[in-house]
Amino acid sequence: MINFIQFTLTRALLACLTLFLVSLIVFSLMEFVPSNCAERYLAFKNTQGSNITVEDIAAEEKKLGLDRPFAVRFSSWISNIVLKGEFGQSCILRMDINELLSGRFMLSLLICITALLFSYAIAIPVGIISATTKYKSLDNALKFISYLGIALPNFLVALCIMLFMTIYYGDTMTGLFSEEFENVPWSSDRVKDFLSRAWLPIFVLGWNATAFALQTVRALMLDESDKLYVMAARARGISGMSLLLRYPAKHSLGPVINSLGFDLNRIFSALPIVALILILTESGALLIEALARSNDQQLAGAIIFLLTATIVFVNFVTDIILAIIDPRIRKGVMGGG
Amino acid sequence: MEVDLKKKEAYFTATQMQLVRNRFFGNRTAMIAGSILIFMIVTSLFSEFLSPYDPTIAGRDKDYENGAPQVPMFWDENGFSPRPFLYGMTKYRGADTNFRWVYKEDKEKRRYVQFFVEGWEYKVFNFNINLPGEALDFKIPGFTFNTHLFGVDEGGIHLFGTDKAGKDLFSRTLNAIYISLAVGTLGVFISFVLSLIIGGIAGYYGGWIDSLLQMFTDAVRTIPPIPLFMVLAAFAPDTWSSEIRFFFIASLLGFIGWPTLARRVRTHLLSERSQEYILAAQMCGASSTHIIIRHLLPSFTSYIIVDLVISFPYMLLSETALSFIGLGLREPVNSLGVLLQNATKADVLLNYQWYFIPVVFLVVLILSFVYVGDGLRDAADPHKVKN
Repeated sequence: MINFIQFTLTRALLACLTLFLVSLIVFSLMEFVPSNCAERYLAFKNTQGSNITVEDIAAEEKKLGLDRPFAVRFSSWISNIVLKGEFGQSCILRMDINELLSGRFMLSLLICITALLFSYAIAIPVGIISATTKYKSLDNALKFISYLGIALPNFLVALCIMLFMTIYYGDTMTGLFSEEFENVPWSSDRVKDFLSRAWLPIFVLGWNATAFALQTVRALMLDESDKLYVMAARARGISGMSLLLRYPAKHSLGPVINSLGFDLNRIFSALPIVALILILTESGALLIEALARSNDQQLAGAIIFLLTATIVFVNFVTDIILAIIDPRIRKGVMGGG
Repeated sequence: MEVDLKKKEAYFTATQMQLVRNRFFGNRTAMIAGSILIFMIVTSLFSEFLSPYDPTIAGRDKDYENGAPQVPMFWDENGFSPRPFLYGMTKYRGADTNFRWVYKEDKEKRRYVQFFVEGWEYKVFNFNINLPGEALDFKIPGFTFNTHLFGVDEGGIHLFGTDKAGKDLFSRTLNAIYISLAVGTLGVFISFVLSLIIGGIAGYYGGWIDSLLQMFTDAVRTIPPIPLFMVLAAFAPDTWSSEIRFFFIASLLGFIGWPTLARRVRTHLLSERSQEYILAAQMCGASSTHIIIRHLLPSFTSYIIVDLVISFPYMLLSETALSFIGLGLREPVNSLGVLLQNATKADVLLNYQWYFIPVVFLVVLILSFVYVGDGLRDAADPHKVKN
């Protein structure tokens, strides 16, 4: 048990270190974007009709603390996030980022994780069938569908479904809520309304993820089925589904759990553009808004940090789960056991 | 028996590359995908010769805007013609068409397709690279041609129709495939060099340098790539010329693609370094450079090629995604992403479906890359030997 706690602590420490590195990368990138927060905000104000001088910019920089050196600003940024959970103010919108993101980030997370679960719920059984079927054509067809999921840009799929819906049903399917539920507190009706719309982004993100998950599962099953211990089991008279589920499937589970973090990464990666097209009011769309339109580095940095932190956390959890379920790792960790 | 022995001998004396090649040629799906891929690459290389019109705004046909695809025919009710022809076109707009321009075919008038016609000028072997800084500029004048495979004498020939400015979609698609492949190739090349350096250092030195680089690589891998792209692409000011933008986007693709490759290089190096044949070479007194060039590099070239091919479609998809949200390549440059962006409007889906033709090419291109990559991976996998 002591060993297990030690293992968990090491992993947690590593995760924190990764997160620190990532935040350093993200923060430096945000720094390198030409022109800083003060200049950009005032330039934005300039378009609204007020005149801006060099002194104004200097005063604004002082107010925002941008005249301090890089290391000081980075440490205050990271310590605010870690200690107080505060991301500071958005550059252009001049709103508290926590307030901006509070509900939206949870929605994004909900959509992405559902998409991930959806993809594995399909990929695991289909992958096993695909790897073990005697019908070559079925295997090829499944493979083709999953490759198509990679080759079709998911925003295109989203767009086509959306336009199709608009033309044939008159409902655009955009947004996460219909109008009457947009700004009301959560209730069972609102959940129903949410589900009636959220299936589209979940499906679009999920199809793409399913393609990758299916490949993983299929390759693992094929690899494992060729191994000697499976032949030995077959020699002992175990066959069919019970053989599959008892040996190769069980062994493939580890790598599948291991790949969860990267699958989530891929879904996060696809989220902003899908969100942009479906006009979802969550953080993915906000990220595009912050990056492509208003150049809001503070906000963009916060969102990317949150997304990456989620992935680091998922990776940490999957490491722990693996240590618990995989006897090879468990023994390495617990020593003997 | 004699034949069998020869076969076996050929098998056992074959180099790794020969084995991979033989296995790949035996894979029917991968071969079909490979032929499609080669066809598309060759077509894109000769895109200027094959396109009847300039793919930029200079080649617009102002008498045929948002025009439907024109497919050459060999016969109609008026009889057969060995030379393919198109009908004459007249522009018409009135109350019955909701005051939108429509094009009417004049079936009495035939316009015959000509081959090897003279048209817009294009240059071959012409490099005119204009990067910031005088030292990086270089120019090669190249040769100027104006012969094209096909064309018509009067009016236009638009196999895939035209867009709203009257630009020929067929010419644009060919040019876009070329540009997208070029961006992808440059991106793959940059990520390849980076991964060789970083993965090479990590794998060759090992120890704490390896751990440090691994940690950095893993941290970069954790950040979702498209948002990272978007941050980096936001660096590019609007004032940049399209050439600089092109190189910038390509290097972005490269900078994001390296971690996966670097990991592979490192793993290969670490496992190969301790092999007996390396020890044998060292015992024979071979220098480190000799070992790296003659033994280590060839030992995993095939794997690296496979990895490069596999990473190619993701480069293309990233370019598409980036151009789609307006942070990648932009008009007047044609790329598959730019063309895709044009296609994604409700108006287009309802009225001008031919805007989607480039999308088909994108999907076919990526699918064939994926299948070829798959076939190469199977062929290069030594555990898959079944003999």
